[in-house]
Amino acid sequence: MMKAFKSQLRGSNRIKECDKRRVIDETQRRRRHRKIMELLESDNYQDDPHADLVMSKKIPKFEDNLEHRSTRTKKKERTAEYYQTKFRKNFQQLVDEDRVEADMTGRVSYIDIAAEESKLPPRHFCAVCGFFGHYSCVSCGMRYCSIKCMETHMDTRCLKWTA
Amino acid sequence: MSYMDSSQSGDESEDNQCEIKRFRHEPKSYNLNRRYERQRPRRSRLASRDAGSYNLKVVESNLQGLIFDNGAHTIKINYSFEEKPKIIPNCIMKAKSERKRLFIGSQIDECRDCSGLFYLIPSERGYITKWDVQKPIWDFVFSKSVCPVNNYPLIMTQPLFNFKSIQDCIDEIFFEEYEVSSMLRINPTDLAVMKYHQEIGAKPPCVIVDSGYSFTHVIPYLEGKKYLKGVRRINVGGKLLTNHLKDIISYRQYHVMEETFVINQVKEDTCYVSQDFKSDLKAAELPSSKNHIIRNYVLPDFNNIRRGYIQDADKKDEIAENCQILRLNNERFTVPEILFHPSDIGIKSIGISEAVVKSIFSCPQYYQKDLAKNIVCIGGSTKFVGFRDRLYNEIRSMIPASWEVNVYQPDDPISYTWMGGKVILKSPDIKAKLPPSKKNLMIGLKWKSMKIHNLNAKLSKLVISNMLKNTTYLGRDLCLKNPTKRLIIKQKILKWQIQENVKKKLMFQAKMMQKRCQV
Repeated sequence: MMKAFKSQLRGSNRIKECDKRRVIDETQRRRRHRKIMELLESDNYQDDPHADLVMSKKIPKFEDNLEHRSTRTKKKERTAEYYQTKFRKNFQQLVDEDRVEADMTGRVSYIDIAAEESKLPPRHFCAVCGFFGHYSCVSCGMRYCSIKCMETHMDTRCLKWTA
Repeated sequence: MSYMDSSQSGDESEDNQCEIKRFRHEPKSYNLNRRYERQRPRRSRLASRDAGSYNLKVVESNLQGLIFDNGAHTIKINYSFEEKPKIIPNCIMKAKSERKRLFIGSQIDECRDCSGLFYLIPSERGYITKWDVQKPIWDFVFSKSVCPVNNYPLIMTQPLFNFKSIQDCIDEIFFEEYEVSSMLRINPTDLAVMKYHQEIGAKPPCVIVDSGYSFTHVIPYLEGKKYLKGVRRINVGGKLLTNHLKDIISYRQYHVMEETFVINQVKEDTCYVSQDFKSDLKAAELPSSKNHIIRNYVLPDFNNIRRGYIQDADKKDEIAENCQILRLNNERFTVPEILFHPSDIGIKSIGISEAVVKSIFSCPQYYQKDLAKNIVCIGGSTKFVGFRDRLYNEIRSMIPASWEVNVYQPDDPISYTWMGGKVILKSPDIKAKLPPSKKNLMIGLKWKSMKIHNLNAKLSKLVISNMLKNTTYLGRDLCLKNPTKRLIIKQKILKWQIQENVKKKLMFQAKMMQKRCQV
């Protein structure tokens, strides 16, 4: 009883400081991680530089066939849009469809061949300098290796990426 | 057994006619494999018989074709009589400097300023989803200036488990738009296996490690066929590595998030796979005077310097002083390390070497030793310096000491599958896989409409062999255990024969008419 009383009185300043800080919970951390993963799979970071461009009519457009490739009549020739609209499916739809079909026929599908989780424990790296990071940030769970890196982390990325 | 039966003729032709090259593998090393030993004498007996009666069957095909490896990052394409493939980026790019122009594929060479390129990439995780991007690229690739189809049979690659609607769309585009006479869609790893078998002059079971742009596949091949239970896919590829490098450089030094093109070159030029990760990481911590890992990379300014390069440590050249210099330290090896430990960036998945070992041990015990002896790595991401050695060391440490481990990396892992396309065109049963070339267009379309390609391959083989023998027995050399499938084939053949008979009759009548007219 006595001890508890004492710690309430004095306590560590560091712990008191930590309590004040905003802490991101597990689900949010996971969401954050998913966002980072999505960024790693993205094609571009920037926006389309030609997005605001209005094409003049005289310039042949990308879809136009400049040379006649085949003996087909013009009626039959198809533009790229034709295929895009006919086979418009995003990746997730394709995977889901494949899954359903695979379940029905009992064959191995795309999802089944994904590699399993490793039994080895994950290593942790400092998010700032890239060397081994032994400490984790209280608010966001990112790793860091030294006070110097911690400060950089706090100043820059700590609460970024949060949804 | 079925595999052995159906490919006897294939084995023969290679034994007799191909120049057998053996490297890395001494013939002795196959003593362990009882199956091969037992098969050898039997096969040679068959050979003499075969060569006498069905001479046609054994002859190596001299078919020429267009080989088209449609990778997610680069297209490898050329005719089979050429030495090397043309490598064309499989994307459309938009540059900041030149507005109103799109750079399709290799047109990017004409672009002066490659900074801040905006990419339109047709595939998503390796599977084509954006047809409005893919179609113009293919239009460019098959245009007169690059590689027109010219009635050659086409061999095209598609990723493992290519989705059905993608397959349909590919068929539609190629048969109807480009009017190819005949086409074979095949997994790139299948071609790599063929090339590997041809190179070593034997057909051992092997594991293919294909680390490309979108993902890494580990696929065991037993008796020339994929063993699906042993396949592993790791969602780490060159794209992810480049994006990760971009991310950490942007955080630590310059903002380069928009410079995918440049950073990809930085990755190719400076990154390597560490042989001893912990000690390398320690060495990287040292101050720059003692540090042997640190490199200064001169970034291109697209004015004086078109492509970046590593600056020499001793002499700092004059041009470089005005340029931006990127200092790379532990980034050089922590980035490719993700291939071996995806958990480093939080991807819950095993690394390449673990995947290979797991894949080997998920195969039937009989093949495991041979699989460990024949590991082949292909794909652009295996080109990191030290990749092969690291993979070998890690696999070695996880496999019983008495087993032999061999990791083979071809000189050019990127175009290895394309080379495999050359091999498949030489294989004697290729004509069975492609629709026969004479009535190509009609049959090609008809076969396409049947939409059961595997069945068609077997069917055509049967038809050809029947024509050779002039007999009509069915099913035996097909090795079809499934009676319903056999029935379907029977019906198809009957249909085909009836059609042929009708045609013959018509031709005969026409000839008779002609003769009468002449008389």
